[in-house]
Amino acid sequence: MTRVGVLLAACGLAVSVGLSALSFPAAADDTAPAVAAREPAAAKKIVRLGVTQSMDSMSPFLALRLVSTSIHRWTYGNLTVPDPQTLRPSPDLAESWETSADKLTWTFKVRDAKWSDGQPVTAHDAAWTFNKMMTDDGAKTANGSAVENFETVTATDDRTLVIKTKKPQASMLENPAPIVPRHVWQQVTDVGAFQNETYPVVGSGPYVAVEHRKDAYVKLRANPNYWRGAPKIDELHVIFYENPEAANAGLKRGDIDWIGRLAAAQFEALAGDPAIVQWNTQGRRASYLQLNPGAATADGEAIGDGHPALRDPRVRQAIHHAIDKKTLVEQTQNGLAQVADGSIVPPLYSEFFWRAQGEEQVTFDTAEANRILDEAGYRRGDDGIRTMPDGGRRFEMRFSIHTDTPVEDKLAQFLTGWLKEIGIELTTRRLDSNKFTEETGSTGLYDIAISGWSVNPDPEEVLATHLCSRRPTASGQAGGTESFYCDDEFERLYQEQLSELDRAERAEIIKRMQRRLYTDAPVIALYYPNNLEGYRKDRIAAITPVPLDKGILYGGSGYWPAYTLQAVAAPAVPAGGSGGTGVTVAVVAGAVLVLGAGGFLLLRRRRATADERE
Amino acid sequence: MTAPLGTAPADGPSAPAQDARAAEGPPPGRRSTLRYAAAKLGGAVLSVGMVIVATFFLFRLIPGDPTIAYTRDVPVSPEQLALLRRQLGLDRPLGEQFLDFVWRTLRLDLGTSYEYRRPVSELIGERAGPTLLLAGTGLAVAVGLGLWQGARAAWRHGGRLDRVSTGVSLVLWSVPTFWLGLLLLMGLAAGVGPFPGVFPTRGMEDVDAPDGFAYVLHVGHHLVLPCLTLVAVVYAQYLLVMRSSLLDEIGQDYITTARAKGLRDDEVRRRHAVPNALLPTVTLVFMNIGFVVAGAVSVETVYSWPGLGLLFYEAIKGPDFAVMQGTFLVLCVAVIVMNTLADVVYHVLDPRVRSA
Repeated sequence: MTRVGVLLAACGLAVSVGLSALSFPAAADDTAPAVAAREPAAAKKIVRLGVTQSMDSMSPFLALRLVSTSIHRWTYGNLTVPDPQTLRPSPDLAESWETSADKLTWTFKVRDAKWSDGQPVTAHDAAWTFNKMMTDDGAKTANGSAVENFETVTATDDRTLVIKTKKPQASMLENPAPIVPRHVWQQVTDVGAFQNETYPVVGSGPYVAVEHRKDAYVKLRANPNYWRGAPKIDELHVIFYENPEAANAGLKRGDIDWIGRLAAAQFEALAGDPAIVQWNTQGRRASYLQLNPGAATADGEAIGDGHPALRDPRVRQAIHHAIDKKTLVEQTQNGLAQVADGSIVPPLYSEFFWRAQGEEQVTFDTAEANRILDEAGYRRGDDGIRTMPDGGRRFEMRFSIHTDTPVEDKLAQFLTGWLKEIGIELTTRRLDSNKFTEETGSTGLYDIAISGWSVNPDPEEVLATHLCSRRPTASGQAGGTESFYCDDEFERLYQEQLSELDRAERAEIIKRMQRRLYTDAPVIALYYPNNLEGYRKDRIAAITPVPLDKGILYGGSGYWPAYTLQAVAAPAVPAGGSGGTGVTVAVVAGAVLVLGAGGFLLLRRRRATADERE
Repeated sequence: MTAPLGTAPADGPSAPAQDARAAEGPPPGRRSTLRYAAAKLGGAVLSVGMVIVATFFLFRLIPGDPTIAYTRDVPVSPEQLALLRRQLGLDRPLGEQFLDFVWRTLRLDLGTSYEYRRPVSELIGERAGPTLLLAGTGLAVAVGLGLWQGARAAWRHGGRLDRVSTGVSLVLWSVPTFWLGLLLLMGLAAGVGPFPGVFPTRGMEDVDAPDGFAYVLHVGHHLVLPCLTLVAVVYAQYLLVMRSSLLDEIGQDYITTARAKGLRDDEVRRRHAVPNALLPTVTLVFMNIGFVVAGAVSVETVYSWPGLGLLFYEAIKGPDFAVMQGTFLVLCVAVIVMNTLADVVYHVLDPRVRSA
């Protein structure tokens, strides 16, 4: 054997050792949770939730992303929490409450609970939290708008919190602000810059945050001091995936146990795996079309270049008639959505959901659409495309969609075909999401656009996105409008529901607002996408959705699903499906590979040297 | 690309006017190297200045109001949006924002992230390690593999090994990084059919990673797929340069001499041809570090590797101007520094460049 041959053999040996070294940690890694479940540390019950959003901040005063607000909901108590059955506000840190006759003063009785460090929770903690948000701009980042209507907040004793509002506020019991421990936070000099990364983080929710690796994971541990009693699992890990496909792979492989907010394609990819439960329930989102009703700033000055015909509610309603929502659900949503027969509040919120019935219902009826347009005086030209009554501008409209959502391309094809039937020529405009937000929210450079909104148990916010005041400022800065809508009737009803403290009465007003949106059609609801999730049944034994009858697991409101998680005591199959076999296969494959490569190289070497000898 | 920018005067006897000074100062060769380096350094500083200006305006071309995008998950009033804009300085005129940016950057302050509300330099510091690990390992393997295969391919050019290795590397070079990464992830991490996956699906480490040497193995295990992807898409360039550079050497007289001396084929290659062919490759290694880092952005996104690439990608999604500017600036400066270094190193290594 030549010197090179020896060298090669040595290399082969080194590679094979390296490979097996790599494979063995794979073994340890794969079976780690299973081992942990058998051995002393053992009894540790862990559930791992995969998310495709990373934490923006551990500070509840700064965090804006859904993953962060969810984790804060699990680690801090609020005054109230939506009841898992009815979704109505129910006691959380506030045990009970009452309002004054003038509807301006709310008195909360704060529960006798403990912070995770053993200190008592008092009304002073709540008062400090709200006052901080009212007085310090740095503390307003996340929930500033929740205290805008607060006049004063005081703790009259350890158990009593008094909030005086400037105007009546029906949504008071949906306040999203987590209550923080005063004894920890009053030492913070600059709340706007404080990261709250001292672990364990003192809180009063069912879990305590004990570790955070940026762009990687947050580790939560059960809070033994939790007033409802500690959760039934020991740890909840929230694990970040940048890539949804990778997260899917992680669930299949057993790297994570649960994943929420799946797209239809991802959800369907989970089919056929016996270890995975495909969780398909009604969702909290509405998808709708925005039709430019004549965009203007909050001061009423016209902006943008929306097609003038769309200012006519009859044209908008005719477009509504031309859309076959059922086909859209089947063809673009793979059937994983509900046809919208209402407006922007999905039927998940049964108390507030309004359904169009009888005469009012806009059905898929091209003939009716054409009749409306003919009657309104929009005649067809020779090419079949309608024009304005003066014979001027043709019905050429743009349909704005997002570049990064292929499903919308499909939707655009259907819509283009249907609108052609009623004499409207539609061209698709693909915009990246920043440009899209600008054109449909600030500059008004659109005719028809696709959009959607995830609704909270209290629909106040989604209704507010159609208020006059949400339109951009005179200087063009966005105010959060979803339609450029501005309607006296809608405004009046909005103000009315704000101060209606009787829940049933308020629900009626909110339904009237949706009816107004439905008939006036600045937005046309297309469908309510289902809530799609998946979890491993060999890891998760039980979990409570909200609402209880087939509701949402991750990304809903409150903490019930996370709090009620139960892990499978001793996994029948180690995580990773067949970790042991996997490692064996890897080792064998590695060995074969190395031997094969070594053999091949040796043979070649022999031949080469033989050639040289000749 | 490596032609000296400054005019390095010919040294030695052909420049008698400089002889007197040369007698006291450093030897002429070294002096010209210093002048050359100074010229290169000046160019680099100029480039950095231009990058600073470009960085600011490039990202401001992204339309839309970042505050609307950030607050998508929470209820916000117009008043709160106005407050956010004020906090982030977005309500100020663009010119003022620019001057502020330049002034801060000159003081090495990269600003505060819009979304994370933390100093950008801190965020970059945290993520630099994982990127260096991934890009560094990837680069080392890619260079090793590329040079080795390139040398083999050139030595028997036209042969089967040449055709196969060149073909394979070119195919991998043309494959989109993101797609290849996903494919490997699906095959080797998620598992296919009866073959279970053997590598983790994400990140650099799991929750409760072990300590000590076990941690090194743990991270190594996580590193395999990202590194494999990175190597696959970048090693072709090293292979091709090595191959063409060695092909140039093969016809040279000294190779014939070496063979005539009766040296074994293998030794001719290793001891005579390859060292000479290695020179242009050195520059390439440095020059392409920027591409490796760019490749790392895609790889980090697929494998949720917590590095600079992921930070940058998340910032674009934001859009978080401060983080985008900071990350982009740091990456650009790194590439400029590497290129300058390459020029200087090449100058030192190859006497022909010096006398050119």
